[in-house]
Amino acid sequence: MEVTQVLLSAQSVDSTVRKHAEETLKQFQEQNLPVFLLSLSAELASEEKPVDSRRLAGLILKNALDAKEQHRKYELVQRWLSLDVAVKSQIRAYLLQTLSSTVSDARSTASQVIAKVAGIELPQKQWPELIGSLLSNVHQVPPHVKQATLETLGYICEEVSPDVIEQDQVNKILTLVVQGMNANEANIDVRLAATRALYNALGFAQANFSNDMERDYIMRVVCEATLSPEVKIRQASYECLVSIGSTYYEKLAPYIQDIFNITSKAVREDEEQVALQAIEFWSSICDEEIDILEEYGGDFTADSDVPCYYFIKQALPALVPLLLETLLKQEEDQDQDEGAWNLAMAGGTCLGLVVRTVGDDIVPLVMPFIEENLSKEDWRRREAATYAFGSILEGPSPDKLTPIVNVALNFMLTALTKDPSSHVKDTTAWTLGRIFEFLHGSAVENPIITPSNCQQIVTVLLESMKDAPNVAEKACGALYFLTQGYEDLGSTSPLTPYFQDIVQCLLNVTHREDAAESRLRSSAYETLNEVVRCSTEETARLVLELVQVIMQELHKTLEAQKLSSDEREKQNELQGLLCGCLQVIIQKLGVSEATKFAFMQYADQIMSLLLGVFACRSATVHEEAMLSIGALAYATGPNFAKYMPDFYKYLEMGLQNFEEYQVCSVTVGIVGDICRALEDKILPYCDGIMTQLLKDLSSNQLHRSVKPPIFSCFGDIALAIGENFEKYLMYAMPMLQSAAELSAHTSGADDEMIEYTNLLRNGILEAYSGIFQGFKNSPKTQLLIPYAPHALQFLDSIYMEKDMDDIVMKTAIEVLGDLADTLGSNAGSLIQQSMSCKDFLNECLSSEDHLIKESAEWARLAISRAISV
Amino acid sequence: MADETSKHPKRESIKSSVGSIAGQRRREKAVMVGKQRRELLMRTKRLCRVGVSSDSANVDADDDDMMMDGEQSILEDQTLKAVQELKNAVSYQGKGAMQKRVNALRELRRLLSKSEYPPVEVALTAGAMSTLVQCLSFGSPDEQLLEAAWCLTNIAAGKPEETKALSPALPLLIAHMGEKSSLPVAEQCAWALGNVAGEGEDLRNILLSQGALQPLARMILPNKGSTVRTAAWALSNLIKGPESKAATELIRIDGVLDAILRHLKKGDEDLATELAWVVVYLTALSNVATNMLAKSDVVQILVERLASSHSLQLLIPLLRSLGNLVAGDSHVTSHILVPGNEITVNAIQAMIKCLESEHRVLKKESSWVLSNIAAGSIEHKKMIYSSEVVSLLVRLLSTAPFDIRKEVAYVLGNLCVAPAEGSGRPTLITEHLISLVGKGCLAGFVDLVRSIDTEAARVGLQFIELVLRGMPNGEGVKLVEAEDGIDAMERFQFHENEELRTMANELVDVYFGVNYRLDS
Repeated sequence: MEVTQVLLSAQSVDSTVRKHAEETLKQFQEQNLPVFLLSLSAELASEEKPVDSRRLAGLILKNALDAKEQHRKYELVQRWLSLDVAVKSQIRAYLLQTLSSTVSDARSTASQVIAKVAGIELPQKQWPELIGSLLSNVHQVPPHVKQATLETLGYICEEVSPDVIEQDQVNKILTLVVQGMNANEANIDVRLAATRALYNALGFAQANFSNDMERDYIMRVVCEATLSPEVKIRQASYECLVSIGSTYYEKLAPYIQDIFNITSKAVREDEEQVALQAIEFWSSICDEEIDILEEYGGDFTADSDVPCYYFIKQALPALVPLLLETLLKQEEDQDQDEGAWNLAMAGGTCLGLVVRTVGDDIVPLVMPFIEENLSKEDWRRREAATYAFGSILEGPSPDKLTPIVNVALNFMLTALTKDPSSHVKDTTAWTLGRIFEFLHGSAVENPIITPSNCQQIVTVLLESMKDAPNVAEKACGALYFLTQGYEDLGSTSPLTPYFQDIVQCLLNVTHREDAAESRLRSSAYETLNEVVRCSTEETARLVLELVQVIMQELHKTLEAQKLSSDEREKQNELQGLLCGCLQVIIQKLGVSEATKFAFMQYADQIMSLLLGVFACRSATVHEEAMLSIGALAYATGPNFAKYMPDFYKYLEMGLQNFEEYQVCSVTVGIVGDICRALEDKILPYCDGIMTQLLKDLSSNQLHRSVKPPIFSCFGDIALAIGENFEKYLMYAMPMLQSAAELSAHTSGADDEMIEYTNLLRNGILEAYSGIFQGFKNSPKTQLLIPYAPHALQFLDSIYMEKDMDDIVMKTAIEVLGDLADTLGSNAGSLIQQSMSCKDFLNECLSSEDHLIKESAEWARLAISRAISV
Repeated sequence: MADETSKHPKRESIKSSVGSIAGQRRREKAVMVGKQRRELLMRTKRLCRVGVSSDSANVDADDDDMMMDGEQSILEDQTLKAVQELKNAVSYQGKGAMQKRVNALRELRRLLSKSEYPPVEVALTAGAMSTLVQCLSFGSPDEQLLEAAWCLTNIAAGKPEETKALSPALPLLIAHMGEKSSLPVAEQCAWALGNVAGEGEDLRNILLSQGALQPLARMILPNKGSTVRTAAWALSNLIKGPESKAATELIRIDGVLDAILRHLKKGDEDLATELAWVVVYLTALSNVATNMLAKSDVVQILVERLASSHSLQLLIPLLRSLGNLVAGDSHVTSHILVPGNEITVNAIQAMIKCLESEHRVLKKESSWVLSNIAAGSIEHKKMIYSSEVVSLLVRLLSTAPFDIRKEVAYVLGNLCVAPAEGSGRPTLITEHLISLVGKGCLAGFVDLVRSIDTEAARVGLQFIELVLRGMPNGEGVKLVEAEDGIDAMERFQFHENEELRTMANELVDVYFGVNYRLDS
């Protein structure tokens, strides 16, 4: 088969030709995969072939080795591993050969494919000679081959984990890379490739960074590279520096002064993409120090793995002026561009992080800048001063800030109404929001907002909602935090007198024609939600009226017919916002019996609207609508049963939604909500639900994060239907058992895997608890006896593993109690025989965590009762 | 393909839009609500039983000996701190205030649930009560009410004076059992009040005068498992008397009788247990209640559950209720437990099961029930006499502990005498007497005569009288003497109890007087 022509046709502008070629490739792949892959690699390697066909051949190869979706990736890996050895070694040879090509696209593509193959094979101890063959002869080859080799090594480091490559090979790679970065390297491409490779190889350099000499050398080379005449090399070397800052924070002390010097020069003088990385270095140092100080928790006797070197505090006198300067480098109209990221924004964000790191110390350093510039003629100066003020509000103590804010508040309120620059107003509204977020609320001793200025604040904010969309959006944010500061006040709130105006104003905002800009509409709805959530019973009647308004709005979205795809997307978004609003309102009104009663008159209508929303989307269900259903189920309780016949199909659809797994996950949660609302009235639907849940569990397409909640959901169902769960035991229990076996051991797993394993354990344990408690006091408890030994074994094994988090520990000890509680004397002897139950119980009884302790005390009681019978 | 731009994802600006963060938080909160409710439901499921059966706390007392004095003082310190924290939380207003209160309450509740010696006294001295009462104020969120009521429940479970300290909280606890309260709150309040009512007559009277009976009674009407159980338990404590007024009032509340019968019949064992205790007190104290119950299906239900259950906790109140009914209203024996009816056969079978059980209390209570049935008509006596019960009783009379023997003696004694007609000494059923004496039960009765318990002694003496009078051919005299009966009776020669003294002396005089010595 002439693969070249097909590959070229597959890039044709003529869509018929293109489609035909794609189809041919697909058939080829399906008919004979080994030959297909071989042909592609040969194509990529062949210097006679056109670059376009070579590039696409490489791309298809790469896509045959890796995919984004977990399950697909797994399939591809297995497929590659099962290929004939001879085929694989031929392909590898073609790939390595391509690295010497004179065509740079071909080399670059081959580098990436090699890295993908390495990603699969090196962990399996296959292709052991790869690194060696890349490193050999590298000094004798022409520069373009050296560049390709470095690029390949960089991609390999990105692809595999550090434990896969031997230390002596790591040493060789790093030596080669650092030599390539050296100023002596005449070839720019080689130097750039080496610098980028170092970025990926830094994670492999633990040992080298612990060795003073090697570290000094690497640091010197990186710092030198930041001075390269080539902007890309400067940028890449700063990226290395950022990564070193967070990976090797504790090794930085000897270099920090030099780094400060070069970064400040870069921020002031270099091109933007370089300057941004230089600022990023300091932001990431802030991240590190904030983490370390948080771990100290203000308690300096605590051992932290890494000590804090207070780099930021030391750099403060020079760093603050540097960052303040950047604030003056705003772009025109950046306030209206959501994705904007420039020097001023990076500098402001870094300043905010610096403030969080050092607290009070920064205030005197920033105040002069604010005072000097706040009333300047030039809008840039006013905006920068306001931004600086906004940035210092999180971190310093209220004692330090309150007097300043008290003085500034009026100024800010005036600026928000009167400043001619919309950019200044935008930042002013944001700053007000930060004031309310951090200095308002009952935790604050000296309130910023008093009965005398509350009205003015509300008036100004509501007025600003008529301003440009970006300003109005920030005003919504300010109102959001103002409202939040008054939550939990009990029966009366200072905002009550303005409640109606606020709600009306926010609703008006949602109707603005330009509400789609600057996320104004969604901010307005979320602010409305917060206003409702924090409202008191004084305004319950108004919230009830709001229900009708929101219902009306939702109704309107359902009437629209024949929408374009663009309009449909807008409809979806709006429905999402409205459902979110309903969800908050239902939750609010459902809390007290009196308002719940009044609300119930709308329950039928709301339900039919939500069903309408579900019907709008054929295959998927609206996550927000699902959440509203959950709230409605709690509010209506057993009466929710009457909605089930109509709602059930959407519930099933949600549970089948593998692609949008968040929807599936939310729906699983809703099943739990409905179980608690309906109790045994959910029984008629359980066959369908259980079938779907079991399917979900056995699918390897579904995102793994949904599986733990599905197990918990078994527990919810069992709790609701009690001994009627009997018929599902034979399906559910083996699932639980095999998942339990999988999750019992975590050896060799990374942090992310351990976290997931604990989530899974928690789900399994919640399932056991629900089932045991569901059967409690039923004559059928003996049906559970055969499953008890396995449950106990599971507890034994996770106890032995010693890597439970606190949540799992609590759920696990509760399962032990549930088992004893439900099975009584039948469990007594099993528990006494268990290897570690007693130790586990004792450990929980002496836990620091009072929730664990409480559960353990209960479990002990249940066990002693079971044993004494 | 190669990534030419920065490898970093862009850092999030601190100047961001509120909409997306707020939406994220809102959705997370919505999911959290579900998790919290699951927790709450599980907690209710798990904990109810622990507290309701008030004696379960003793079960683990023996393996908690590690509780040193040192730990106790740490606990007390923590409690002081927790009370202070709660006071702060209550006076604090605004952002997060509710969560703060709930957390503080939860901490205090946890401390109060801890150990066998909860630091109730410390908490009270620190002034916890008035703060807890504040936390119960109307309009408070459920979570807060629940925790506060829970704290009070634990305090009420303490020593008598600690329970009395609850007085200021009682009206609010009662109010929160109203129809508009959520079930968990109402249940927790019922629990607290149950503890208070269990403390003594004074507190019961206070609760009754404050109207606790109606809301508690209303709580047992629906079919809500744990709530009904807790309410029933609280009710049984509340109507304990000694006055009968509350019991009478309770049974007269609309729907209560039906609810009692329904739960007793269909409820799980824990629920039935609490209801059975309510029936025990109703039938023990109130004639009105006894009459109403006697005319209902209650006997049928009691007998059925007696037959089907193996739970000691349930069997005891069932037996006692049945005994009260048999003893309290002749309707039961004359119309329901009539010889020949199936229910009567079942009842006797149930008694046999209890007599054969390992538990002392069951043996004693079932003997007592039997003694009341045996006090009935000739037919009743014949029925018992011809059942397996008799051989069991005879064995018990010689082997069982004293209190059981005494009850057994009543049954056996009753079997040998016909219902009294008019006054005078009861007529003998000679056939029964001969057979029982033949089985060797006289020794058991003589033994009772020797006991210091006057009632037991009287039963013993009465039976000896029957033997002396009723055994044909004057055999009784020899039998009594052979069992050292004379010696046993002579103990009463100068006994302070006049009735026994007269009775014993008379018997000795009549049967073993001067003539006897000469004759022999």
